[in-house]
Amino acid sequence: MMHDLNLMVAGPQGSGINFTSDTFAKVMTREGYQVFTNAELFSTIKGEHSYFRVRVCKDIIRSYSERIDILIPLDAKSVLLHVKELAQDGAIIYEDKLEDPRHAAVPYKDILQTVATKFGKALSELNVMKNTVALAGATKMIGLDKEKLKRVISENFASRPKIADMNNAIVDEVYAEFKAERTFDLEPTTYKKRMFINSTHAVGMGKVEAGLKFQSYYPITPASDESNYLERVMGKYDFIVEQTEDEIAAINMAIAAANTGLRSATSTSGPGFSLMVEALSYSGMTETPVVIFYYQRAGPATGMPTRHEQGDLKYALSAGHGEFPRVMIAPGDHKEAFYDTIDAFNIAEKYQLPVIVLLDKAMAMSNYTVDPFDLSKVKIDRGKLILSETKDYLRYRFTDDGISPRSVPGVKGGLITVAGDEHDEDGHIFTEDADNRIKMMDKRMNKMASVLREAPPDLKVKFYGLPTNKKVIVSWGSSKGPIIDAMEKVKDVSLLQIRMMEPFPVEEVMKYLKGKTIIDVEQNYSGQLADLLKEKTGLEVSTRIVKFNGRPIAFEEMVEVLSKPKLGKREVLTYD
Amino acid sequence: MINTASTPPKPQSYKTNVEIDWCPGCGDFGILNSLVLALQELKIPNENVVLTGGIGCSSKIPHYVNVNTLHTLHGRSLVQAQAVKMANPRLEVISASGDGDGLGIGSAHFVAAGRRNVDMTYILFDNGVYGLTKGQASPTLPYGEMPKSIETENIKFPVNPLFLGLASGFTFVSRSYSYNIKHLKETLIRAMKHRGLSLVDVMQPCVTYNNINTKEFYDPRLYDIEKEGWNPVASNENEYKQKVPQAVLKSLEWGDKIPMGVFLDYQTETYDQKLQKLVPDYGKKNYVMDPIHSNGKPLNDVTDLMNSFC
Repeated sequence: MMHDLNLMVAGPQGSGINFTSDTFAKVMTREGYQVFTNAELFSTIKGEHSYFRVRVCKDIIRSYSERIDILIPLDAKSVLLHVKELAQDGAIIYEDKLEDPRHAAVPYKDILQTVATKFGKALSELNVMKNTVALAGATKMIGLDKEKLKRVISENFASRPKIADMNNAIVDEVYAEFKAERTFDLEPTTYKKRMFINSTHAVGMGKVEAGLKFQSYYPITPASDESNYLERVMGKYDFIVEQTEDEIAAINMAIAAANTGLRSATSTSGPGFSLMVEALSYSGMTETPVVIFYYQRAGPATGMPTRHEQGDLKYALSAGHGEFPRVMIAPGDHKEAFYDTIDAFNIAEKYQLPVIVLLDKAMAMSNYTVDPFDLSKVKIDRGKLILSETKDYLRYRFTDDGISPRSVPGVKGGLITVAGDEHDEDGHIFTEDADNRIKMMDKRMNKMASVLREAPPDLKVKFYGLPTNKKVIVSWGSSKGPIIDAMEKVKDVSLLQIRMMEPFPVEEVMKYLKGKTIIDVEQNYSGQLADLLKEKTGLEVSTRIVKFNGRPIAFEEMVEVLSKPKLGKREVLTYD
Repeated sequence: MINTASTPPKPQSYKTNVEIDWCPGCGDFGILNSLVLALQELKIPNENVVLTGGIGCSSKIPHYVNVNTLHTLHGRSLVQAQAVKMANPRLEVISASGDGDGLGIGSAHFVAAGRRNVDMTYILFDNGVYGLTKGQASPTLPYGEMPKSIETENIKFPVNPLFLGLASGFTFVSRSYSYNIKHLKETLIRAMKHRGLSLVDVMQPCVTYNNINTKEFYDPRLYDIEKEGWNPVASNENEYKQKVPQAVLKSLEWGDKIPMGVFLDYQTETYDQKLQKLVPDYGKKNYVMDPIHSNGKPLNDVTDLMNSFC
């Protein structure tokens, strides 16, 4: 019996590798298994080598494995590149004959010819369906009911029933003709309803639940998947998604929509965020509740657009001229991404400031199974928003808590004057009075203390493992997955996940880390969180475990490094 | 398009009591006064008007008009204004900024605005210089000119706001003059009444830095194309295609005679109508005033979305 099974589909971009792995993942999700996937795409549309991994287990899994049990290469290059990762008792499903004893010889040509004849097509027209041959071969070896695979295929081709029929005929043929010598017996599981999603879906659903009315974006990998998802559902949930001329327009539109009274957001990646920075500073100065979803990818400059990195932590914290309050939250998985999205809007409106939700490519492109969100836990707090007639209104009125009542255009008696220049309580800018400057700076900056005081503890940090462990890993974002998985093997280490990066939760962090041996794990070159930790708390980490080759951390390499008898000051993970 | 008040506001209520810091004699005053007069005549309730500015002398105008105002960033007046109108189509939205703001740093937004055709009005304060930073050449300064404020003659060709507006898809394209309050006020009213994106390019002397394009320069040169028989109205797509090239030709006139008036007035699909194709309830519900929660409980329910992933 296998505890977990790893399938890889590899081939040129555009050859259907995504479709194949997704279909497999969906079938396994519906069987009740937990599924974790990892996508490694080349930054082209067609032709370059790419691959998808699908890991399946009856228990929760949060990372991919270096081991491949079933390899589906769609070209010869993929055979050469990945056969070394194939387990000794694995199987490789490939159309041409291989000398490797692990070759599972599915009769591709006969099957395709039979189906082509049945549908009156030329054999060449069915070449694009080779991946279905391989997929059905895999599911047969795993012992899955073919009807379950066919159902998912039919759903995927719901708008093209003829294509669905042909693919399903292939499935029938494979199950009839392919005599598998090797089978894979996964530990059985019981069905539980789960979603198979990535963070762009989680954030998208969070935005809809939070009452988003305006989203602006400029196309960029890996952030635009979220906006495109929102475009698919905006007609039903009644909000608008605007594709702008550039990221400067995107954030300025989001800011203006927020000042008009809508819950509004923009989503981008590093290069786009760089263009937004002036307006980020403006939103701090103007006390505008705008939310920026920042999906990091490997930089600098254009970097590796489709590859992973957590390289923008310090940048996102400091970006923007002048000093202004901002809140930054870094979710570590899809579930957190959903709830953090809603919290981000609440914080933005309650404290009237920009909120950055910092995500990354691994979260944006790694689909895995997640329990349905508990919507009864969701609360909306719009802060001091005024929507009915008022009088003696001042947009930047000084108050005890530094937060002014917020009117919007259309409210009688509540005219707003919003200004990025230093301003009086009324928003007018013709004062450069020194005392007013001090009061206004205090008003804005004091919000940070309120955020820190009022934020729920698990929005700030989460602790995993035994509190008595001497060694504690400090980490953030998607690195959390492989760390927690590895902790099931390496028991003498705990994890402190830092979630709120600004304002920095010094008290909570000190509580868990003081007196411990601190190991930093993050996916960038220098170990930025370790630097931040030192700046905010004075605590020094003993080791920086970093990975910056553009690929997320694999389960095995995390176990391996944590199992080392002695860790160096810097450990670089390199698995690809 | 205009939503007028049932009870007209008092005259003067469109002016704030904020002290104006423009130079004495600045062309900005004529634009401010014309805008206030236009708003008074249209009787739009103050709370339903939003005026945005960028950065620059002219972009301070939001502080002098008693409506909702967004004093934005340099170059971002027009783009923020469009979002305000998209967020709440019930508002009357006016964007103001200088030619440097709109056609230099903000030129991408100017072009993109034409593609959308949001129902709003953009007033371009066109004086050929960057006044607030002491008179550098701006995108509309004619080639070869050297106002007293710049160190060397201008070796860049100018952008023609009317031509660019026509090319970008603005559906109302006009020019007026800050010392002709009557014409400017009427043009602003027509621009605001136009259903779609309106450009009002205002010839406006900078008395401090531009000693070439002065009142003395403009007064004898400007002529009203509509008084000379030009009909700017295009009532269908065919007429539009015929009118645009002619309007472009007129927009190229510069020299002893400088044309002003409305060059194009074409009513076609506005952005709110286009958005409705994608979001059927857009504009029917009020995104601002309709609640998104009831006692903190979200009114949206994503259960269906969650199920779609199961």
